[in-house]
Order: sequence, then structure tokens, then C-alpha cells
Amino acid sequence: MKLALAQISPVLGRVDRNLEMHLELAERAAKEKAGLIIFPELSLTGYSLKDLVPEVAIRPEASEVLAKLQVASRQIDLIFGLVEERSDNPGVFYNSAAYLTGGKIAHVHRKVFLPTSGMFEEGRFFASGHDFRAFPLKSSQAGLLICRDFMHYSSSYCLLADGAGLMIIISAAPGRGTANEESQGFESSQKWELMGQAISYFSGAYVIYCNRVGIEDGATFAGGSFIYTPDGQLSLRLPYLEENFSLQEIDLDQIRRARKNRPYKRDDRPEVIWHSLGRLLRKENED
Amino acid sequence: MKINCPLVLKVLTSFIREESHKAGFEHNIIGLSGGLDSTVCAYLAVKAMGSKHLFGLIMPFKNYDQEGVSLAEEVGQLLEIKVEKIDISPQIESYFSSHPVDNPVLRGNKIARERMSILYDYSARLEAMILGTSNKTELLIGYGTIHGDLACGINPMGDLYKTQVQELGRYLNVPQKILSRKPTAGLWPGQTDEDEIGLSYEELDRILFSLVDERLTVEEVIKAGYEEKKVRRVAELIRKSEYKRKMPPIAKLSERTVGHDFLYPYDWGK
Repeated sequence: MKLALAQISPVLGRVDRNLEMHLELAERAAKEKAGLIIFPELSLTGYSLKDLVPEVAIRPEASEVLAKLQVASRQIDLIFGLVEERSDNPGVFYNSAAYLTGGKIAHVHRKVFLPTSGMFEEGRFFASGHDFRAFPLKSSQAGLLICRDFMHYSSSYCLLADGAGLMIIISAAPGRGTANEESQGFESSQKWELMGQAISYFSGAYVIYCNRVGIEDGATFAGGSFIYTPDGQLSLRLPYLEENFSLQEIDLDQIRRARKNRPYKRDDRPEVIWHSLGRLLRKENED
Repeated sequence: MKINCPLVLKVLTSFIREESHKAGFEHNIIGLSGGLDSTVCAYLAVKAMGSKHLFGLIMPFKNYDQEGVSLAEEVGQLLEIKVEKIDISPQIESYFSSHPVDNPVLRGNKIARERMSILYDYSARLEAMILGTSNKTELLIGYGTIHGDLACGINPMGDLYKTQVQELGRYLNVPQKILSRKPTAGLWPGQTDEDEIGLSYEELDRILFSLVDERLTVEEVIKAGYEEKKVRRVAELIRKSEYKRKMPPIAKLSERTVGHDFLYPYDWGK
């Protein structure tokens, strides 16, 4: 399968202009025979929204924006980020990732871990999601995570236990730390790569990470999107800090080969994890 | 505390370019003192936007810092930017002759605010975004005049300690004379920052880095080997100067109040 990574810089608070950008790049990727294009976290809105959250929110079933992207998804599958307002729960907003294919919304992941400390304040403006769930993508199973979700390795574990061979992370990670003189990027980028390599190798899964670039309110988004193969090998890394659009062929059979060679998935014991977590949670509730 | 200079250069030039353009400016304007901070900032701006897009203002007060004025002129020539010199002595003298004061800090603040006032006037005349040149050391200890040198459109260097600005300056090959000059706010003839603050920038930056970046407590920093009196003084300077780093508090009355719960990004719709 050929996929496209769109390492873009969305315009803050301008869904109209970002939609245009999405449609153009999706068309370009489709022309290049890609089967899937991936955009960063909150790619339709920009990241540092604060009180703009309700103003840029989308109700997927009733949205003209989504309708246009659904039409595009007849040519190419799309994964992108949006502020989602559920029709059955108005006034509650999620930092969501949507997977569109064949003209339909096939899956939505709502960010579970909302960073709310230091420079981050997502918990002030968003409600958190409650599930990590794999879903069919082409001939494989995929899982979607949003930025900080991936820094909690339990999220990837849930997706692995659910059968995901593709872990797709959309991100708006600002760069921090400039002490490393060897790197062309921020020190924080290395943490994402460390996690990408570890999760891909020990899950026998592709880890596909699409980060954004650009500057919002002084914070620079780090770029450096990447793909790790199910053997933990780096197969693509986009430049740090610069806009980029790249195509990469990935071989879904590699998931099978990796899991045949290193049967971590086969030997996994989710019931033991469940049992242990159950005990911990019961204990916590007793306190 | 070392910095990756090529990376910092890339981030800061992108910052100047993007934030200026987003605010609708094709040009920047900067007050040049002949000191390190304004020189490094001017170098960054020229790398970001090109020499045709930076305007330098030199604003001497009497003969307080003649060396600074000639170095600032030299920077203007080296960078091939347009520079104008405006002597601010008449208006400052006129004010203090009718309202005399001995306190040099009050005089210094008035001078800094006069420069700010001219920068904002020229910003409007030239349609140029004002680049602030306060570094992280100054911002943290409050070594700057509120609505004076602290005022600006954007500040590219506010997350670099003074010693890191020096490192960046060496990387950018700014003139040796400027790099080796004793830092001065030019508040009175012969004034130096380090004498006034009572600590060397080396030591001050290391204490600040421990307290702020590493989030150590005052006690932990003292335990690490710094003189107790100095650490406590730095911590106190940080605490007492918070008002210089914030918009003033607004008395809350309604459900939705500017600064409290009317929260929009700076780069709204840009």
C-alpha cells in the first residue's frame, strides 16, 4: 500500500482554508496512486484553539466540511484531525481523528489523554474519549491515536491486543529542548522516535506518525513525521520543522513476517493484564 | 545550558518571519544600542527577512554611551540595513528640568520609555513590526523597564539566557568588540549590568537555569553549591517581577472577562 504523509501547517481557526488544503493534498496523493493520506492532529482547525473550540467544532453527520471530505474519500482514504461535537451530546467537544473511506466515516477516535500541564491546556477545552479500538483499514487492522495518547504505552498495547498491525498517530507536538548539538531537530522529537521504534518492534506493527509544523503563539511544532516498520526499522523520516508531503510504500505482509519471527502477539496474555489491572483498580477504589 | 546554534537559528528566523507575516508586516524595526542583544536580534532579523526588511533606530541620550552608538552604527553598516539616529536628549532633559529627580533608575526608565514611544511611532510610520530584544535572564529577574524596553511586537530571544545569546552571537560572527563588551543598559555613564545586579551573568544564568528549567527548589540549588544569599536574592527577584511578565489583572465582574475566561490565541485566524 502506498501512503501519503501531509506534514502541514494548518491555519489557526480557519476550517475553510484548511479544508481547501486537505482537498488539494488528497487529490495530489490520489493522483500519485496513494491509498491513504494522513494529516496531523487538529489538521482542520489548528491546535492552540482555546475558546475557539466551540466555534470550529464539527458535527460529523451534519457537516458540509465532512461531506466534502467524504466525497474525496471515494478516491483515497483520509485520516485527519478535527474538533468533534457529537449530535447526541451537544456542547461537548472532542479532539478527534477521523478515518474516511469509500465516501463514509468508517472510524473516529477521540483523544483519551488530554495534556493539561505546563504549556498544554487541552483538559480545559476538550472532553476526553473513552476507548482504544482497532478497525479495518485496507486488508489490515489499524488503530488511531492522537499525540499524547502515544506517549502512554498502554494505548498502543490496547490497540495491539485488538489486533492492530498499523498504529497511526496524528500529532501536533511542539518542539522543546535545543541542547543536543547532534540533532537537526528538537530534543523532544527524539522521545517520539524512541517510542516509535520500541512500539513497532515489540508489537510487530507499523508505527506511522504524522506531526505538524508551523508556529502558533510562539510555539514551534517539530515536524519529523516518521514510519517505523514492524521490525523496528526507520523507513521514513520527514524533515524537522519544514512543511512536507511524502509518499511511502508500505508492505502489509511485513506485519505477518515480524509476528511469525517474534511471536509477542501470539504469546500476549491480555487476560492476565485484565486481571492485574482489575485487582489494582479494586484496591484503588477501596482507598 | 549549551544550545544547538543551527537549530536555534532556524527556529528563531522562522519565528520572526511567520509571526511578522501573520500580523501583516513585511518589515521589522529594532532599537539598536550597540550591545549584544539588539545586535544578535538584528542579525536574526536580516537572516529571516533580508536586509531590506529591517530598519534600525539608534536613540542616544546625551553622551551616556558613545561607544554603543558607534558600534550600533557599525552593525547597521555590516548588515546593510537602513539606520536612523534620533537624539532623545531634548525631550528627556526638558521633562527632568521641570521635574527633577536624582534617582538614576527613574531617569533610566524615562529614557527607556521614550525610546519605546519612538519605536512605536516609527512602527506605524514604516509599517514595521517591533522586535523585542529582552533575553530570558532579564525577563526572569525583571531587569527591564515595563512599557519601555520590555514592550515589543514579538520577542525572538526571550527564551535564551544571556550566556546563550553570547553563544549564538559567536555562532553568528557578530563583531568581537560587541561580544567582549561589558553588558550595559546604558542607564548612566559607566553602568554595567553585572555590577548593578550584583552577580556575573555566568553565575546568574546557572542559578536561573536550576530554578526555572530544572525546577529545583531554592534549598536544592543551595545544596548544589551556590551561595545561599545569591540564590535567595535571585528567587526573590523572580517573584517580585512577575507583574512585568503579565498583562495587568482585570477586576472580574461578569461571567466572561478579558484575561480570565475570554481566552483566544494570539495567532487567531492567521
